[in-house]
Amino acid sequence: MPGKNGVLPQELKARGITRRDFTKFCASIAAILGLEASAIPEVAAAVTKASSLKPVVWLEAGSCSGCTESTAQADYPDVATIVLDILSVNYSETLMAAAGYTAAQAKEDTIHAGGYILIYEGSVMTAWDGAALMIGGPDGEQVKGTEELKVAAKGAEAIIAVGSCAVDGGWVAADPNPAGAMGVQKFLEQEGIKKPLINLPMCPVNPEHLVAVVIDYLLLGKVPALDEHLRPKLMFGQTIHDNCPRRGHFENGEFVYQFGSEEEAKGYCLYPMGCKGPQTKTNCPIVRWNKRVSWCVEAGAPCIGCGNLNWVDADGPFFKRMRNLEVLGGVQPTTIGLGVTGVVAAGLVVHGLGMKAAGRAGAANAGGPTEAVKEYDRKRAGKGGDQ
Amino acid sequence: MAKTRTLIDPVTRIEGHLRIELEVENDKVTDAWVSGTLFRGLELIMKGRAPQDAFFISQRICGVCPVSHGHTSTMATDKAFNIAIPNNARIIRNLIEGAQFLHSHILWFYQLAALDWIDASKALKANVADTHALAEKAGTSGADFGAVQKHLKALVDGGQMSIFSGAWFGNDAYAKKMPPELNLIAVAHYLEALHMQSEASAVAAIMGGKMPHIMTSIPGGTTFVPTEEKLDGILFRLLKVRDWVQNTMIPDTLAIAPFYPEALGYGQGVGKFLAYGVFEAKSMKASDRYLPPGVIRSGLKVEDVDQSKILEFVDSSFYEAQDGNKNPAVGSTHPIAPVYDTEKSGGKYSWSKSPRYDGVPLEVGGLSRMLVAYLRGVPRVKELVDGALKALGAAGKPEVLVSTLGRVAGRNLEALYVGELMIDQVNELIANLKGGDSKFFQSYNDDQGAGVGMWEAPRGALLHATNVKNHKIENYQCIVPSTWNISPRTKDGVRGPMEQALIGNPCTNLKQPLEALRTVHSFDPCIACAVHVTSVKTGAETTIWTGPAMGVR
Ligand code: SF4
Ligand code: SF4
Repeated sequence: MPGKNGVLPQELKARGITRRDFTKFCASIAAILGLEASAIPEVAAAVTKASSLKPVVWLEAGSCSGCTESTAQADYPDVATIVLDILSVNYSETLMAAAGYTAAQAKEDTIHAGGYILIYEGSVMTAWDGAALMIGGPDGEQVKGTEELKVAAKGAEAIIAVGSCAVDGGWVAADPNPAGAMGVQKFLEQEGIKKPLINLPMCPVNPEHLVAVVIDYLLLGKVPALDEHLRPKLMFGQTIHDNCPRRGHFENGEFVYQFGSEEEAKGYCLYPMGCKGPQTKTNCPIVRWNKRVSWCVEAGAPCIGCGNLNWVDADGPFFKRMRNLEVLGGVQPTTIGLGVTGVVAAGLVVHGLGMKAAGRAGAANAGGPTEAVKEYDRKRAGKGGDQ
Repeated sequence: MAKTRTLIDPVTRIEGHLRIELEVENDKVTDAWVSGTLFRGLELIMKGRAPQDAFFISQRICGVCPVSHGHTSTMATDKAFNIAIPNNARIIRNLIEGAQFLHSHILWFYQLAALDWIDASKALKANVADTHALAEKAGTSGADFGAVQKHLKALVDGGQMSIFSGAWFGNDAYAKKMPPELNLIAVAHYLEALHMQSEASAVAAIMGGKMPHIMTSIPGGTTFVPTEEKLDGILFRLLKVRDWVQNTMIPDTLAIAPFYPEALGYGQGVGKFLAYGVFEAKSMKASDRYLPPGVIRSGLKVEDVDQSKILEFVDSSFYEAQDGNKNPAVGSTHPIAPVYDTEKSGGKYSWSKSPRYDGVPLEVGGLSRMLVAYLRGVPRVKELVDGALKALGAAGKPEVLVSTLGRVAGRNLEALYVGELMIDQVNELIANLKGGDSKFFQSYNDDQGAGVGMWEAPRGALLHATNVKNHKIENYQCIVPSTWNISPRTKDGVRGPMEQALIGNPCTNLKQPLEALRTVHSFDPCIACAVHVTSVKTGAETTIWTGPAMGVR
């Protein structure tokens, strides 16, 4: 049986993945989970000793398939490892081989057997009493998407809402919300269904977040520490701004005022271009995207805050500087933008720290030190900001 | 013999929610209803927002081809604002688009479509030494076939089949003569493809910040300014992906195709094609695009696209009549409560509108692009297509490409064309930078006006139309590729391209209509933005339903 008796490393070998890669894989997992390097063997042991693969039902509702796509971009572990060696993804409309009623049957069988993780992608579509989304059942009948969720949620051991759409309706729920989109949490509350639920916002979900949460769950058998919005604290505890490599320029008052300009080439801060980094709590500068090749700000684009709740309405217009936001310990960012030009020396120090914290960290460095930056914020806020 | 019905719902290995209902007589499909089953209403959400935000929001139509939506949206906005983007921005956009094409073509062929042609369970019977020999003979790349087979065996023995649960392996419609060794080669490459699609995606992410849902191709150009290190990363990965397409994906296609000669004989569909063209040339003229635009309406003759000939109908769609018979530039979207019963809904069965060109449905996608480019005489496309036709024993007969198998082969050839083109584009960019051109963004003063963007997603012709007044989007409409392909009937009874392509398909196994699934996947439907059908009631002659509930299971 795959996963049994430590066969995983051999199975990885089948795809040309060496023992060294496997260690890298475990190191990556440990890093995402915020564990010390000494925990790597433990992770390896836990991954290889599982007696069977954890069944997963992956439902797509009002989604663009972007979260499935995003998960397919995972690196260590890659998607083949995830779906063949760690999990048994018995239902995934995008990836599964079966179609039609045999696909629906695979879903039904898994739900019937219980003990599975439900991964939900996309918004819950409630318009026309749930008829905005219909899905074929094993008997060829059509089932409302909302009914499908109820059944799958009731039987699940735990639920992971992947991507902003599943968390709170995402862009689909943006005004005027024509399809009655909502997040899994709200829907289940309305239906009185209580299950352990983990929210993983972002548009799309960051595959490293998902992998970390799944592995964490497999290791500990329980959901990780969550904040008040049921987001893992480890990943959603700090703002983008806290860890942004351009942060030093922010402190220096060195800004980009036009895209593609000389200032952009110098890597100055994108705050005047509308960057939502200061109000967005997630760790993009550290986990980055697509095997960590880049992330938004690194590519010259201001953060549009896709990890925020109600992100499209809350953060649009995306290129307008945010106003009147109680961030940075009460300091108004608009005033910072205008007033910090004098704070040069401190900025250079912070710049150095910021670069170290968020530079192209190898997997083992992920989640590196960022406290110095935060400490600085606190001190400055204590002095009444920059005014 | 009585007519029977069968259905495929959910259609898997596609993007979004699709239901296919088929009427079958004497082992052949005689009628088809294709319906998308999800409404999200992006066009309505766009209203009143900042015009620049459209680039970000419209990408969320589709997580498989977000780049194309983003680019088409930005193109519409560039036009509305009257912006001529810098030459370097053109190349960056081409490169991001090309990376997404490569990602999408690889993922589609191996992960989405191949399992209709490859019986993975047969790979267990393969002899490993013979597999290596066969790979060499077929000119396709090798792999640790023994290890892959072991892995597969462990999966089967473990009884936890994961994404292979409920697969239709063993179905009689799989080529009986295909050696198990070829199945094993394909399974090994299925796993490799997972890696390659993510390499291609990473190229898009280097320039776009992340993928899916890039961040940089905004109105005016791009926010991305390349460094040497980034250029290295782009080139390194592109070379790797292009080589893989050339040495693995194309030979695999040509090795599998001969086992399915009959698949060149079904799935023709409407036989009429549309391409808007993609990959902008320096002139920025649509007609100069590296894959040019064109319409093919009779035989294999290509003509220019006339946007004003495009109208959208809603006869079979869940929208108000006022939304119908309109050009997308002035179209509207008013959903009505869906009634999933054609007898009660007045014949409506889909969330997809029905776009028509001069009144007729057209097929869009990789095959359309390749045929248009072939007929327009693009040299490298001619070379690739003629070479493949020869290998398939159909030299000089490009018309055989108009079929289920041809649609697959055509798109795979396109992957190689795009891979090669992207390398040229990187080199062009490097030359520009060396020559001192460092402009990537053109600023603009007025953000008002109306514009239409016409471009191609991997799945076909894509149009976005924006109308900006008082610095806000007043109206926004899209016609996405799958809307063309999966469009429902119009009042005159003329079916959409996929419906037509299904008619005449063999259907030897009512419970698992694999040949029909093959045809559906050959279009690579991407439905999130398109439709939803429903219970089309049995016609009077229909005696049994083949859905399991209807007694056949
Ligand atoms: S405002 Fe944005 S670009 Fe500037 S430092 Fe903060 S997160 Fe980085
Ligand atoms: S940087 Fe901002 S916009 Fe980019 S992925 Fe992170 S939260 Fe989303």
